[in-house]
Amino acid sequence: MASVLLPVSLLLGALLLIPELFGDFVAYQIGLYLIYGIAAQGLGFIWGKTGVLPLGQALFFGVAAYLAASTLKADLPLVLTLAISGLVLCAIGGFAFLLATLIFRGRSESGPYFSLITLALAMIAEQIAGTATSITGGFNGMSGFASLGHLDPFGSYYYVIVGMSVGVSLLLFILNKLPVHLLARAVLDNEPRLQLLGFPTHVIKGAAFAFSALLAALAGGLFASHQGIVTPTSTGFALSAELLILTAVGGRFHVLGPLLGAVIIGWLSAELRDSFPYWELLMAFVFITVVLKAPGGIAEVCEKVLARFMPSASASRQASAIAAPSRTVQAPAKLKFHDVELKIGVVRILNGVSFETPASGVVSIIGPNGAGKTSVLNTITGNLRLTSGRITFGEDVISSRPVYKALNRGIARKLQVPSVFASFSVSENLTIASLAGRVTLADLFRFSTVRWRSSAISKVLNHPKVPLNRLLNEPVAHLSQGHRQFLEYAMTVAAEPALLLLDEPCAGLSPDETALMTELIKQYQETAQRLVIVIEHDMSIVEAISDKVLVLHLGQVLAFDDYSSIRTNPEVQAVYAGGTK
Amino acid sequence: MTVFLEIEDLTGGYGDATVLFDVTCSLESGQILGVLGRNGVGKSTLARLVQGGLMAHSGDVRLKGRSLTKLPAYARRAVGVGYMPQTSMVFDDLSVYDNLNLGQNKKPLDPYFDLFPRLAERLHQKAGTMSGGERKILAFVRSMIEDTRLIVLDEPSEGVQPENISHMARCIKERASDGAGIILCEQNLTLLREVSDSFLGLDTGRIQLRGTADTLKPEDLREFISL
Amino acid sequence: MSTVLILNLAWQISTLALVALGLAIVFGQLRIMNMAHGEFVMLGAYAPFITSSLGLSPWLQVPVCLITVGSIALLMERSIIRHLYGRMFDSLLATWGIAILMREGVELFFGRGYQSVSPPVSGTVSILGTDYPAYRIVVICIILLGFTALYWWSKTSKIANKIKAMVGNPDLAQAVGINTARLSSGAFVFGCCCAGIAGLLLAPTIRIEPMMGLDYLIRSFFALVVGGLGSLEGLAIGTGVIAGTQTVLGAIASQTYGYLSVLTLSILFLWLKPNGVRSSSR
Repeated sequence: MASVLLPVSLLLGALLLIPELFGDFVAYQIGLYLIYGIAAQGLGFIWGKTGVLPLGQALFFGVAAYLAASTLKADLPLVLTLAISGLVLCAIGGFAFLLATLIFRGRSESGPYFSLITLALAMIAEQIAGTATSITGGFNGMSGFASLGHLDPFGSYYYVIVGMSVGVSLLLFILNKLPVHLLARAVLDNEPRLQLLGFPTHVIKGAAFAFSALLAALAGGLFASHQGIVTPTSTGFALSAELLILTAVGGRFHVLGPLLGAVIIGWLSAELRDSFPYWELLMAFVFITVVLKAPGGIAEVCEKVLARFMPSASASRQASAIAAPSRTVQAPAKLKFHDVELKIGVVRILNGVSFETPASGVVSIIGPNGAGKTSVLNTITGNLRLTSGRITFGEDVISSRPVYKALNRGIARKLQVPSVFASFSVSENLTIASLAGRVTLADLFRFSTVRWRSSAISKVLNHPKVPLNRLLNEPVAHLSQGHRQFLEYAMTVAAEPALLLLDEPCAGLSPDETALMTELIKQYQETAQRLVIVIEHDMSIVEAISDKVLVLHLGQVLAFDDYSSIRTNPEVQAVYAGGTK
Repeated sequence: MTVFLEIEDLTGGYGDATVLFDVTCSLESGQILGVLGRNGVGKSTLARLVQGGLMAHSGDVRLKGRSLTKLPAYARRAVGVGYMPQTSMVFDDLSVYDNLNLGQNKKPLDPYFDLFPRLAERLHQKAGTMSGGERKILAFVRSMIEDTRLIVLDEPSEGVQPENISHMARCIKERASDGAGIILCEQNLTLLREVSDSFLGLDTGRIQLRGTADTLKPEDLREFISL
Repeated sequence: MSTVLILNLAWQISTLALVALGLAIVFGQLRIMNMAHGEFVMLGAYAPFITSSLGLSPWLQVPVCLITVGSIALLMERSIIRHLYGRMFDSLLATWGIAILMREGVELFFGRGYQSVSPPVSGTVSILGTDYPAYRIVVICIILLGFTALYWWSKTSKIANKIKAMVGNPDLAQAVGINTARLSSGAFVFGCCCAGIAGLLLAPTIRIEPMMGLDYLIRSFFALVVGGLGSLEGLAIGTGVIAGTQTVLGAIASQTYGYLSVLTLSILFLWLKPNGVRSSSR
């Protein structure tokens, strides 16, 4: 907790000293920068963690400022004003959540387009604010209202801003310790993997956007009282761009980065704008340099300098893991393909595939390249939508559903190229996997949840030959291909799926590691008595693990039988010349 | 007379990491050099150092006495070095036709379409929609029809059906009999033995085996690759 | 519809198409989200002032425009854009910074205020009983000719495929003999020069000031989004929809409604049909 309370109390102390040391006017100016800083912190949260970059944050800032101004104009009792403010904040957050969730639903890559949409919205707001003179006062702005609680903007109102600013920073520091923070960062790192782990990523992005909008709106509300006037420049393009620059230069990856950026740039700009004609040019240069050379901004530079003077005492001590709550285990079920067809453009990938697996056992899928093996898995998890036909698992139709729904139906999948969260440590990867299918919304806001470890993962880790136990604190980026295969395997079994899909789990493994992987797979199947489907090229592995073998050729089922019958099937021999490693 | 292709003390890798050490060998025009070794021993690195996708840390590659070492890949292509990469071997966004017609080519396409009718069928389809094996064939044909005199092939047979592999062997031999020098990096011993005049075995980035089709027995090759 | 409205429509569509063509190459092909594209329009519009301040003949405005815009674009590509291929968000941010740099630079040279130039061709032409500025008619014809030539050239040249190949797989593009460094600078400079020439052509008809670029950037971005990236037909549809909506609504309602409906239309396309109307080809 010291890592949270120390910076926050330092911040509080420094801000409280400002009026004493520099007088009320400087405090008034700093107050404005802190307001921008709050909005920038919201932008830093969504951009730095999820990678989603909204370009129109001034929309929320401006709308909230106008609404605050109209409320203050009515001169209601303080309690009522605060209640209305709360409602406005909720409404803006709700709107932002809906907007982002709707836009991001069904895709995992509309980043730049989302940015342009937010920009266009801010421009619409600016245009309306400028032309709807009867409501907003047009270009002259809306004025003639007292500040919140009739506080003096040049005096005591400063402490309201400080309180909000410190409160927001504290909240952000706390969020950094909670599992929500892991999930938000995981969106940026590997969104497809997060969806396979059962998380609706569009909702996560929507929530992050709502939070950032909320902070922007809070800042806008504070702004109205502080300035006593709201004009169309409080919304729209220019302020959005300004907030973006403050965030980038200050440092989007650190809680205090955007706040730092707002205060430093705001203060320098006030000091230098008139005396130094090249100030704007200089700012543009600094901004370009930050984008190209120092994406972490001022905050990262400061952290590096601090780290040099104060080498951290303990290199992130590993908190002991706790067992994750057990999952309601789903009953074994049969997987059935009913005349499944899949076309992409004009190309036929699957041509009427029908088969029914047993409810328990290992099924291997083999076939020449381009036969449609990976596509079969893609249709099961919903990564590809069927052209016709359907797929059932037990009683449920599972085809053409969003990917994130697969895990909650008990379907987990390991991808062909190991897909893990590359910017996280091994133990963080395992934590995210342990949340899969178990975590409730309330759990996401509990500190202890970050130490969860699913029993299926513990079983893999405790196997004497699995190399992961001594690598727990290593960043995944340092792991070899083989170790990544084992990590992804552990993450895939974490939710104890009723249907485990493994796409070439032994690719890139040495003979010893291959033996270990096949042992793990067999062990899982035997203890859980569930269905495992494996795509494999190596016939010796297929022979070792399979109860049944599905042979695909040109998008059709050529044979579906046990291994020895497949081996002697003349049709299979004719088209498929599978060799051993 | 100058040697067609000379590789001298070639050392290189990715960034600061050195993967290939002191490789020296030579090749005459019309000859096929088979480079064999397991995954990750430096075959692809050797191919890319010759082709120019990677720049050598030290050593020299000379084609007809002219040093290629300082030339970027497109300039090496201009002096006649062709290349088929192991991965990302086609332009996914372009049609099969455009893939084959992007560079400077002079060989007729029809004989290749006879051997690989799938390409002709899919001529106006985007290459990215084809399966792994089909893309290999497209990339292979592209490297064959180009107007080149040294062709570097990196695992052309991976994921390709046996029948098509034997077609590939035929094309490679034909191209060599036209006077091209060919470097074939492969794990498929059948293809290697069918076409290669000489062999180079790589392990942990160094040459560990050298010989010609006459001096090396099939068992030697098999044993080397399963080391 | 009156003749003036139709001619205004042709004027708006053709000039926007020229700006958007440049962006279609830089954003659609090279995948650089160039937020400084509008600033090249602005720079082109200042070319007459540069020419006169150097004491050169007005006939040299076109080469002066191309040299100014081209050299700045080349410098920008070599020093900054080069590192940003494949990093779309970073390209957006860095070019945003460059846009500020260019605006501030021009402001230092020419001041913040509005400027105007007189058209090289004055007078009006009578078409179907309506008098219309001759200069605009000339510009519409020039742009139309230019696009016809471009369309014909794009059907025969391999250049579009080479750019596509380079962006999709730079290593392989080198291996088949494409000089990727030269091709990418060339394409980037050409895209920026389209914007510059558009600015020069627009100069006599607008108020010239350092902040003018933003509007052109936004409208051409939206035109590309509506029309879909990657084809001249899509470009034509997109500019038609955007410039058409703005001109027609501007004429029958007000400029504000025209502007608002363009923004709303763009949001709907970005949300529901992000690949544009020509996306079915994928």
